[in-house]
Amino acid sequence: MSEPKRLHPITAVLNGLKTLKELIIPFFAFVVFGSKGIGTILIPIIGGAVILILILASGIVSWLRYTYRLEEGELRIEYGLFVRKKRYIPFERIQSLDFSEGIFHRPFGLVKVKIETAGSSGTDAEAVLTAISKVEATAIQDVLQNAKNNRSEDVLSQEVSEEILYKISAKELLLLASTSGGVGVVISAVVAFLSQFDDIIPYETVFHQLEDIVANGVIFISILVFIGFVLAWIIAVIGMMLKYADFTLKKVDNDLIITRGLLEKKQLTIPLNRIQGIRISENLLRQPLGYASVYIESAGGSAQNAESAAVNILPFIKRDKVRGIIEGNIDGYTLSDEMISAPKRSLRRYVFRGWFLVVPISILLIIFLRPWGFLSLLLLPLSAGWSYLKFKAAGWNQTGNQLTLSYRNVVKHTVYMQKNKIQSLAMKKSFFQSKKELASVEAKVMSGMGGAGGAVVDLEEKDVRTMYEWYSREEKAL
Amino acid sequence: MLFEPQKRISERALPVWRITGGIYSLIALIICGGAIALTIILEWPVWIIAAAIILLILDIYFFVYLFPLLKWKRWRYEVRDQEIELQHGIFIVKRTLVPMIRVQHVDTKQGPILRKYDLATVAVSTAATVHEIPALELGEAEELRVFISRLARVADEDV
Repeated sequence: MSEPKRLHPITAVLNGLKTLKELIIPFFAFVVFGSKGIGTILIPIIGGAVILILILASGIVSWLRYTYRLEEGELRIEYGLFVRKKRYIPFERIQSLDFSEGIFHRPFGLVKVKIETAGSSGTDAEAVLTAISKVEATAIQDVLQNAKNNRSEDVLSQEVSEEILYKISAKELLLLASTSGGVGVVISAVVAFLSQFDDIIPYETVFHQLEDIVANGVIFISILVFIGFVLAWIIAVIGMMLKYADFTLKKVDNDLIITRGLLEKKQLTIPLNRIQGIRISENLLRQPLGYASVYIESAGGSAQNAESAAVNILPFIKRDKVRGIIEGNIDGYTLSDEMISAPKRSLRRYVFRGWFLVVPISILLIIFLRPWGFLSLLLLPLSAGWSYLKFKAAGWNQTGNQLTLSYRNVVKHTVYMQKNKIQSLAMKKSFFQSKKELASVEAKVMSGMGGAGGAVVDLEEKDVRTMYEWYSREEKAL
Repeated sequence: MLFEPQKRISERALPVWRITGGIYSLIALIICGGAIALTIILEWPVWIIAAAIILLILDIYFFVYLFPLLKWKRWRYEVRDQEIELQHGIFIVKRTLVPMIRVQHVDTKQGPILRKYDLATVAVSTAATVHEIPALELGEAEELRVFISRLARVADEDV
C-alpha cells in the first residue's frame, strides 16, 4: 500500500460544495443586494456565475493535489493548492478512525474517514479523507489494527470481542426527538430569518390585505402563530430523528463504537483510555419521564470538532438502566445515586440569586408600563420555583478515587470524575457564604482541546473542604 | 487540615495595578467629562454635574486605591512538590489546587507596565485550564518557571 492514492473524484464536488457552504451568505448578499443597484441585473448574475466556476475549479484542483499513502508505519498525506503541505502521521499516534457517509457517498459506496490523533496542539490536528471506497477504508483500518497489535505485548487478545451495549428503539427515538431542545433552535432560526428579510418581503402590503381578516379577531393570529410553532417543532423532531436513527453503541475490544444516522451515516470510535469523565444530563422534559442522556468527555478531537470531545454515548435511556451499562463496561466508575445535597440554609441563597436578576426587570416594567407591568410580579414566584429546582439538583459525593458533582443550569447534570483525570479543583467562598459556612466547588477535566467539568454552589463548607483535601496530594499530617 | 497558602506576590504589584486602574478610569473620565460638557452646553439641571463628579471620584477611589490594595492583600500562592495552590479574589475568595503532574507547560509574561517595574506574570497551563500568578519579581518568576517545569516533568501519568 505504498502507491500514492487519490480520493474518489466525487471529492471535487464535495470540496466545491463545502466552499460554497462557507460562502453562501456573502454570495447571497452579493446576488440579492447587488441587484438593487442601478438598473443592470446582469452584473450580479455574471459575477455569481464566475464565482461558482472558480469554486468548482478549485475543488477539482485540490482533489488532484490531494494524495495519501501508507508507508513505513506512517499515514502520509500530501495536499495544498498554492502552498503544498505534507502531513505524516505515525500509526501509533492515531487514536481512532471515524467513518461517516453522506448522501453523496451512498450511491458510490464511499465513506468519509476522519483520523483522530491524540489531540496535539493546533486546530486541525487531524486528517480527513473526504471520500474513499469502503473496501479501502477497511483496509486502512486493518493495517492500523495490525500495527497496534504488533506493538502491544499481549497478542492473546487477538480475537476481537464485540458486544452491543445499546440500540435505540423506535419509541425511544420518537421520544428523544420530541423532548430535545432542538425546537428552540429552529424557532429562533425562523424568527431570525424572517427579521432578516424585512425589506424583501413586502410585509406592509401583506398586512394590509390581512387587515380585514385580523379585524375578525386576535384568535386567527394566535392560530397562525400556533401553527408556526407546531411546524417548527415537527421540523426539529424530524431533524433529530434523522440524526439519531439506528443509534447503536458497541464495545469492541477497548473501544466504544457509535454508529448512527439515516441520511448521513456516522461511525465514531472512543478508545476507553481516552475517557476523562462521564456526564448524565436530564432536561426538564425528560427528567419527569425518567429518561436521561449520557455523555463522555474524551481527550481526543480538536478545537473545531467539538462533537468528538463530549460524545453522546447514550442519547435517550431510562435513568435506572444507565448504571448497569456504564459500570459493566467502563472500568473504575461507580454510578451510585447517593448524593449529599446542599444544606437547607443555602436554599435562601439560591432564591435570592435568582431574584437578583428578576427584581430589577420587574421594577423597570412596573415603572414604565404602569398597568401591565405589575404582571411581571408573577416572575418572582416563577424564579423562586426555578431556584428551588436548582437547589434540589445540587449535590456531591466522593468515594475512593471518584468525585461526583451534580447541579442544574437549565439541564440537570451529574458529572463523574476520577481524581487522576481532574485537571484542577477550586473552592470558592464569598463574604456572605463564609458567614453561613457555605462554599462552592469547581472541578475541571480535559475535553477535546478545552475544559469541561462541574461546579456546585452553596454546599456545606466542611464538605467542600473535604473534597479539597481529598484532591490535595500533599501529606495530610501538617 | 490544609492551611492557607503563605507566599505573597510582589509589593510592586500595587503601583502596577494602580496604573492599570488609572488607565481604565480614563474611560470614566471621558464619559463624565462628556456629560458635564453636554450639561453646560444644553443647560441641563446642575445636579447632573454633581452626580458625574461624585461618580468619577468613587470610580477612582475604588479602582485606583481600594481594589488593588484588597487584591494584593488576598493574593497568596504556594508551590509544593506535588501541587500548586493559589488563593485570590476580592469579594469571592477562590482557592485552586493544580497537581504538578497535570501541568503541561509554564509561561512567563510581561506587559509594558510590568516590565517597567521588573515584574512578570507566571502562567501555568494544564490540559484544560490556565492559572496565572500575577506580578512576581522577575528573578522569582524565572526561578518558579524553571522549578515548576522541572517538577512537572518528573511525574508522568496518563492524561
